[in-house]
Amino acid sequence: MDEATQQAFNAGSLRANAAYQSAKRNVTIDPITRLEGHGKIDIYLDDKGDVERAYLQVPELRGFEVFCRGRPAEDMPQITSRICGVCPTAHHMAATKTLDALYQVEPTPAGRKIRELVYHTFMLEDHALHVFVLGGPDFIVGPEAPPELRNIVGVIQKVGLDAGKRVIGMRRQLRELIAYFGGKVVHPVLGLPGGVSKSLKPADLPRFQALAREGIEFARWTLEIFHSVVLANPDYVKLITSDAFTHRTCYLGMVDADNRLNFYDGQLRVVDCDGREVCRFAPHQYRDYIAEHVEPWSYMKFTFLKQRGWHGFVEGPETSIYSVAPLARLNVADGMATPRAQAAYEEYFQVLGGRPVHHTLANHWARVVEMVYAAERIDQLVNDPDITNPEVRRIPTAVPAQGIGVVEAPRGTLFHHYETDERGVIRMANLIVATGNNAARIAMSVEKAAKNLIKGGEVREGLLNKVEMAFRAYDPCLGCATHALPGHTPLKVRIFDRERRLVRELSQG
Amino acid sequence: MNAPVVDVPRDRAKAPVLVLGLGNDILTDDAVGLRVVESLHATLAGEGAIELRTTTEMGLALLDEVAGRENLVLVDAVQTGRVPAGSILELDAADLGGPLATGPHFLGVGETLALGELLGLEMPRRVGIVAVEVADPYTLGTDLTPAVQAALGPAAERVAAIATGWAR
Repeated sequence: MDEATQQAFNAGSLRANAAYQSAKRNVTIDPITRLEGHGKIDIYLDDKGDVERAYLQVPELRGFEVFCRGRPAEDMPQITSRICGVCPTAHHMAATKTLDALYQVEPTPAGRKIRELVYHTFMLEDHALHVFVLGGPDFIVGPEAPPELRNIVGVIQKVGLDAGKRVIGMRRQLRELIAYFGGKVVHPVLGLPGGVSKSLKPADLPRFQALAREGIEFARWTLEIFHSVVLANPDYVKLITSDAFTHRTCYLGMVDADNRLNFYDGQLRVVDCDGREVCRFAPHQYRDYIAEHVEPWSYMKFTFLKQRGWHGFVEGPETSIYSVAPLARLNVADGMATPRAQAAYEEYFQVLGGRPVHHTLANHWARVVEMVYAAERIDQLVNDPDITNPEVRRIPTAVPAQGIGVVEAPRGTLFHHYETDERGVIRMANLIVATGNNAARIAMSVEKAAKNLIKGGEVREGLLNKVEMAFRAYDPCLGCATHALPGHTPLKVRIFDRERRLVRELSQG
Repeated sequence: MNAPVVDVPRDRAKAPVLVLGLGNDILTDDAVGLRVVESLHATLAGEGAIELRTTTEMGLALLDEVAGRENLVLVDAVQTGRVPAGSILELDAADLGGPLATGPHFLGVGETLALGELLGLEMPRRVGIVAVEVADPYTLGTDLTPAVQAALGPAAERVAAIATGWAR
């Protein structure tokens, strides 16, 4: 090729690339329609009508740091619990633990155990909500069931009205326990640096002990339902283990000193796609291990393993993408700290072919295993002699500077990080929320499901639900804050042809 | 003379009309439903049949709020993107879609009401929704944007008209 041709070739090539890139960037983020949804998936087809790319887009929560700056750090458990109508207790607890770190104070044994009691109660309630109401319709009713039945009403028709009443009744009781300590569930006033604001009166203990026993039965019953409805159906098992819903990524989750799963405290452990430990670190070291990547088409920041570097949305041995939430937590844990949960954990890995499990939809099963653990942990705590000790707080005396706190939220690892002046006034506040930790894998899951389900321009019926299932398994909290009318993470799917023309729009609602 | 109407027993302690403001009080315009209801306390102080409440919760939590009420007026933020910010939209439960109208896996207002019925809870016979189109429900902040602020008064009037009409 002569020089002039080479130049012309390169110039043409640059123009083509620029045109291609600008077409990509033209993926505009429309005003999100509250009545129809919080997020959307844009699917771009190639010449053959196969999927070239698929993008999940969600609105961002803006102005968090600006809002917090200049406020007393003690306000953070209240502020952060209010930014999210879905998991207020998780933010409240992460913020409270961050205050412990900020003021360098260890809670008293009773203070810590009351926090754990409230936290595990929240985990049990929130997981139950997902199993029966949000994710359950996919399996309990069935992914191919008519849309009018794929909802909580369909779930109740399948499992029976009494079962429905049991779910609703259990949930109410669990929330009453949370409210006993924290007042309103949605704005808990419980956590203080060094402990909690309220002790458990000995006279009230018997009803919590009774509730704990009921909680264990409820979790076991949920596991039975999962067995009889999901695992007994070969089609569901085939779907769970199908390639469309599988990614070989790394996993992150919190473990105790014996590498058993812990929701409330411990170290963070990462395993690779073969289950080998990549790293294990204390919460305050998170910035050495986790970094964030930005894409032009999304408001979401995609976290990745810093020491591996960003290699794009790829899976396999070299990937720096990790996942959090139930699937990930079981993958990083060598076991469970309670007997029934341990048995459920062993069965889970035995049936799914050993650790780690890479099937996104297995999140639903892992969530039920975690329900068993949460219930058993509640039972341990209400039978612990420390739980009624009135010494629920240690008053901090240190000068604050920086604090980092982590919990395992229902949807995955949640990091809070504040820096203050010497009076405890916020100078910097940063959150990495669970859905942020899962963002890259969720994006991959949505794209993979779309690529597997759309071929030759043919958009099969039921596509929307199958693509949604790819991300619903993560129980993502997309509009991390909006209480939502009408409800929870409905989506719009838009399909564009080779010329970037909108050819089809699907939405639920 | 007509036979007496057989009534479904209701919780006598609860006011028959619940005005429920929904929203997030630290997310700019998302607070509009809460602010409208708060502004009604003075106007509707003498109305014993009307109870004003606000909640920042969603989904199933609505069940606890609305069970046992005869009438429900929901006040909320909405973002359709099709009308200017500050526009007031009136909807009924059918507009939100019950479970038969949609296939959602989220728990919406319509679905929550249907679920309550199915569980044998006493769900409101009449549901009205007054929604204010918002400009910014995604930025942390406690001030409404100007257009939404301006809609507070008119929205409150609409809510009061519906609630007092049903209270009679």
